[in-house]
Amino acid sequence: MAPRELDPLQTDDRPDAAFEASWRRAFRRRLLLVAVAFVVWTAGIQARLVYLQVVRHPHYLDVATDQQMRVYEPPAKRGDLLDRNGEVLAISVDADNVTVNPRVLKDVAATIQDLCAVFGDCSRTERADLIKSISAAAANRSAFAFVRRGVSPAVGARVAALKLHGVEVRAESRRYYPNKELGAHVLGYVGRENNGQGGIEAAYDSTIRGKKGRVLMLTDAKHQAVQSRVESEPTAGATLELTIDQYLQHIAEREVRAGAERHRATAVTLVAMDPNTGEILALANYPSFNPNTPGAFEADLRRNRAVQEIYEPGSTFKIVTAAAAIEEGILAPGDLIETAPGYIKIPQRKPIHDEHYYGAHMTFHDVIVKSSNVGAIRAGWQIGAERLNRYVRRFGFGEVHAPDFRGASGGIVWRPEHLNASALASVSMGYQVAVTPLQMVAATAAVANGGTLFEPRLVRAIIKDGVREIVEPRVLRQAVSPATAATLTAIMEDVVVRGTAKAAAIPGYQVAGKTGTAQKIIAGQYSSANHYGSFTGFVPARRPALAVLVVVDDPRAGGYYGGVVAAPIFQQFSEAALRHLGVPPTVSATTPVVVQETPVVPARYATRGAADAARQIRQVDGQLLMPDVTGLGAREAMRVLTRSGLTVRARGDGIVTTQSPAAGEPVDAGGVTYIQLDRVRPVAPPGGRQ
Amino acid sequence: MIVDRRVLPHLDWPLLAAVLGLTLIGLATIYSVTGNIGANAPGPEFWRQLYAVPIGLAALAGCLLVDYRTLAQRSVLVYLAVIAALIAVLFFGVVAKGARRWIDLGVGSLQPSEFARLGVALMLAMWFGDGRRNARSLADLAWGGVVVAVPIGLIFFQPDFGTAVTLTSVYFGVIYLAGLPLRWVGVGLLAVVLLSPVVWMWGLEDYQKGRVITFLNPERDPRGAGWQQIQAKITVGSGGLFGKGFRQGTQGAYRFLPEAHNDFVFAVLAEEHGFFGVILVLGLYLFVVMRSLEAAKLAKDRVGAFLVVGIVSWFTFQVVYNITMQAGLVPVKGLTLPLMSYGGSSLVATLAGFGLILNVRMRRFTN
Repeated sequence: MAPRELDPLQTDDRPDAAFEASWRRAFRRRLLLVAVAFVVWTAGIQARLVYLQVVRHPHYLDVATDQQMRVYEPPAKRGDLLDRNGEVLAISVDADNVTVNPRVLKDVAATIQDLCAVFGDCSRTERADLIKSISAAAANRSAFAFVRRGVSPAVGARVAALKLHGVEVRAESRRYYPNKELGAHVLGYVGRENNGQGGIEAAYDSTIRGKKGRVLMLTDAKHQAVQSRVESEPTAGATLELTIDQYLQHIAEREVRAGAERHRATAVTLVAMDPNTGEILALANYPSFNPNTPGAFEADLRRNRAVQEIYEPGSTFKIVTAAAAIEEGILAPGDLIETAPGYIKIPQRKPIHDEHYYGAHMTFHDVIVKSSNVGAIRAGWQIGAERLNRYVRRFGFGEVHAPDFRGASGGIVWRPEHLNASALASVSMGYQVAVTPLQMVAATAAVANGGTLFEPRLVRAIIKDGVREIVEPRVLRQAVSPATAATLTAIMEDVVVRGTAKAAAIPGYQVAGKTGTAQKIIAGQYSSANHYGSFTGFVPARRPALAVLVVVDDPRAGGYYGGVVAAPIFQQFSEAALRHLGVPPTVSATTPVVVQETPVVPARYATRGAADAARQIRQVDGQLLMPDVTGLGAREAMRVLTRSGLTVRARGDGIVTTQSPAAGEPVDAGGVTYIQLDRVRPVAPPGGRQ
Repeated sequence: MIVDRRVLPHLDWPLLAAVLGLTLIGLATIYSVTGNIGANAPGPEFWRQLYAVPIGLAALAGCLLVDYRTLAQRSVLVYLAVIAALIAVLFFGVVAKGARRWIDLGVGSLQPSEFARLGVALMLAMWFGDGRRNARSLADLAWGGVVVAVPIGLIFFQPDFGTAVTLTSVYFGVIYLAGLPLRWVGVGLLAVVLLSPVVWMWGLEDYQKGRVITFLNPERDPRGAGWQQIQAKITVGSGGLFGKGFRQGTQGAYRFLPEAHNDFVFAVLAEEHGFFGVILVLGLYLFVVMRSLEAAKLAKDRVGAFLVVGIVSWFTFQVVYNITMQAGLVPVKGLTLPLMSYGGSSLVATLAGFGLILNVRMRRFTN
């Protein structure tokens, strides 16, 4: 029903056929043009799409993936470090990092205000710094900034509970050394990224670090994760059981500190090794640092002097000279060496004196015992540069032989062709050769154990996935024959008995050792005021349990001779260590175990093993309760009691028969306990072997 | 009943099917891109768009069933109603995204500028279709220009530059097919070239200049103004031949591509369905445009022909500009892709427009 007046075909002024035809023709032509243009455009767009979606597709796909994918690597838990008895030396605890996405933060100051309220300990400057740095990050359109690292999980949980926009809490593991300075140089420390820096932490980093996990995260344009896929879970690192004995380490550190303070020394180093295996039982340097806060200490304090410091060993090195002479059959201990007139002249060099004039001739034995330079030089000349050098090398000097130590020095050993008579004289008495304390103790241990040089080791076992894999001792080589070692031992025993190291004597034990006193080179010249005083020895001499080296760097008070400054530290340490290790006395020992027909120990003592619950220190309402140690050996009893910080006064030997306080009585941490030991025949636990 | 049942067999079913097909594809794409990955549900935009579909179909049916000549006769009323709505927007409109474009109706909001094109198309069809008026007469051109200029002016005040530009496309489309001498087109283009520096200096807002500069060199500010341009290309390019799959697109869903459900819905389609999906959609648009031009050609009278031309003009203009923009070939403008982009008023107005096109073709044999 079209309205009539609108229809041109029906109105009175109906357009004529000519007009109708003409406008339609023009109209159709122009429509065709439009249609063609549209088809051309469609073709053009398709070409463009082919370019974008086919030709450039790989490129744009990469770009899209790049901006959408983020890889997050959740940290692995770092393995623990334990001492040889399973005591914890280093542990990883869970900690959280608080981070922000500055781009999405609406009010930086308010956010920091809220976070600081949770932390509870922001200083005014810290707050201002945070606001400044995060605002700067926001200006750079950065999507990530740390607010605080390593907060406790409790604080992390409280931050997460605030649900602040743009604030993230991420789990991290943080290294913690519960004993603070104890064994700091052995353990090393970790950096911010949980990577080992120095010590075992560095040397075994790949073992204890574990493997980071990998999480692929799909993020949106504001860098918020919208989807994530765990590609791999983090794998915890292996736990290392070290050769260090926490108790011995503690004694060692106490003694080096005491020694350093007594003699106002720059530094004191003590290394104790089990000569039968090469295991390092204790390694202490003074001064030290706290690995929990490594940044607060100068780099020099973090240096492990025992392996990184090289020093001229002086007379302790005469052990090597003697070993060469004896092994090569050049000199027997009884052979006489001319030591008149108490000094020796070497061209273009100041005469070298002995401490005293010991007479015109000395036996070679006494040359070492009295530490005669003249005698040692004459012996060295007889040995010759090439042969002496061979023994220097055999004892491990000039090589880095301890992979467990990071950054260990090899020392300096001259090649024999460069040793003229003067230099050879120097080497014979321990100059013109630089060694590390670790090399010296390893060489001493070789003499102690019958001539075998072991690789000094710190790791006793690696515990991974619940499997404990024991690290076997590694023999580097036979340095000298057992016979030579025995001869050297006899000489070194005399050093302690009637030579330069009487202060090293330990009542009840045969000690073998050698002192050394070397002038330090200050500004290119040997100084008569600065010295290294050292002592190296082992005990008991005939069945060694310990090889110990003490080096006192630059003692400024109370003498400087090794026999004066270093030997007492050796003595103090070794005496406590022998007791701790339960090594029976060797000199004027009480008669071997008396076999009594009737046991005086009530059977109940012996029916309990050391692992029995009653043996363990218990805590009730924060109060320590005295454990039952009766029936235990001295060593076991000490371990049980010292583990909880009790001081033990022991009397007698054998097994514990009486104790004070009695079992179950309250004791204070650090309190003194008394145990009485008696030689009684232990009664085997029921079912046990007789 | 005003419908003569004899005309119904002449309804262009293929065109109607293609138009509805594009609407549904658009709906599905909005479903895909607004859906939150976590919650397995589409966003609120999808539901609003879905509600607009029946309203749009009703509008289409209404525009189809009433004879277009009846409508053209009342075009002045329609036109004045649109102008009144546009004025009302300026006083009572709702402000969103810095522009006052919407009237709140309680159950939803209405964007009158989308319907202005229909009013203008009807007015121009009437003006040039009635009698012998044509585009060779400067007076006729000027009167037609006034018809367009009034709503353009009102829309400029909102401001909504993009919609205003589509109104000019209606005018230019109609006067071109009304026989505008090509010489004059040449003169006009020359004037544009000569005037563009002047417009650049004094006529453009800074943000508009920024869009042009950014188009010429998107890398200049990849995180700022060039972002959309770069992201659109990444979105299209990363789709590849076969696409990432329905609801598998990442660029839009993770907000790398802003306005993904709106201006850039085509890019999302290209990402999810790849080159082949895009070819299908382009083919549908090609079919719709060709079929509409055919409707103009077959129109019984000049009013019908120009009515179809006016509607096809803005439809085609928006399709061409929007898709070319998403292919990274022209500056980013707030122009939607008709039928597919999010926007209820736009969908309803567009479906109503196709109702008129179908109307003209259906009634080509009546008298």
